Amino acid sequence: MRLTIPVAKVLSALLADPEAPRYGLDLMKLTGLPSGTLYPVLHRLQAAGWLAADWEDVDPVAAGRPARRYYRLTGEGVRAARLALAELRALAPPGRASRGGAEPTGAPAW
Amino acid sequence: MVTRRLAVLLLRRAARRWPAELRTALIREWDAELHVLAGHGQRWRMLRFAASLAASRAGAPVVDRAVLHRRLRHTAGVLLLAPPACVTVVLLAAVVMNLAYAVLDVRVAWATAVQLPLWSGLTAGAGALLALAVTRAARRTVRTGQLATALGVVLPIGLTVTVVLAALAGQGESGLPGTVPGLLLWLAVLVPVLWGAGVLARRGRTRLAWFVGVLGALVAADAAVVLAVVSAIPAAPVGPVADGLPADTVDRVSAPLWLLTCWTDSSFGLPRPTAWERFLITDRVLVEPVFYLACTPYAVAYTVAAARPAPAVEPVPEPVPTST
Repeated sequence: MRLTIPVAKVLSALLADPEAPRYGLDLMKLTGLPSGTLYPVLHRLQAAGWLAADWEDVDPVAAGRPARRYYRLTGEGVRAARLALAELRALAPPGRASRGGAEPTGAPAW
Repeated sequence: MVTRRLAVLLLRRAARRWPAELRTALIREWDAELHVLAGHGQRWRMLRFAASLAASRAGAPVVDRAVLHRRLRHTAGVLLLAPPACVTVVLLAAVVMNLAYAVLDVRVAWATAVQLPLWSGLTAGAGALLALAVTRAARRTVRTGQLATALGVVLPIGLTVTVVLAALAGQGESGLPGTVPGLLLWLAVLVPVLWGAGVLARRGRTRLAWFVGVLGALVAADAAVVLAVVSAIPAAPVGPVADGLPADTVDRVSAPLWLLTCWTDSSFGLPRPTAWERFLITDRVLVEPVFYLACTPYAVAYTVAAARPAPAVEPVPEPVPTST
């Protein structure tokens, strides 16, 4: 997996609470990424087996809206994402510590 | 409502750029998110959401860069080496034909009659073998659009032709300028033919793609031969004709047959072209039709093979309800 800044942002957001399922708009809000960047990243993470996608269990008629798609890190994804982000932090310049402990803002793109 | 419709249109457009097997699930997912935004009256966010997807690059399958570069080199190798291989095929077939002719000429009376059919047959056979090799090689080449594939096949042929003509011109070969219009016409017609065959192959209509490719390539070659002959040999005598000799003219009525005539030196039992016309035609265009014959099998084979439908990159996740 090539760790770009958008990928790192998505992984950070998901790692903040690995058990919590996240939908697209949620992740856009957490990462600040536009939809055109976010969804290709989600696709790549799914293809790599780091991310699982499931459909919301909701009755569209009763809820008055269609079911949404949720994303959650797989077990492998959690391990790999932690390792990748740790490596990313180790490579970042000392004076530019990431904000919030996980967000790799300012890190170069790999 | 207008904003919602515009956003939906943008999402449909965005979805078309993603792999076909993912589109249904993506449209369903994006529609659901759009519904949430519409429910909150966030029209601009709705538009931004859809526009960003429509303007961004699709989530192409993850490809290892090393693999991609290897495939690019492989594609370039196949496409650049195939045309010189065709030239070699034509030359080797000519050598074999001449050897066979030398043997036959002292034994049978029909040795001259089989010269061109033998050359064409050997070239077609070797061209078919080359096409098989190219088809196998095409499995590891880069996937791209059908027009790009057609150009990728045709341009190296044009490059090879240019190099060969330049080499021959450097040796003082005369009459080369007369071959250029026919060759250019052949290449120009070959591009849309291969493009169409590629489009059909991409849609899974492989047999029709082959039919269109082969028939179109024959039409392209025939048109090139006709142009070469028509531009060099008049239909009616333009000057005094020597007694006892036929005029150096070729009746246009048999034009569609000229390509086959060049390959077989035959009129197929038809009154035209006459034996003298066949001599004039094959005297004017001798090598080009055989070169077209050598290139056609691999050009069509590569186009069809390279346009093969992409394998499923990733199964569409089943809409399994979550427990949350």
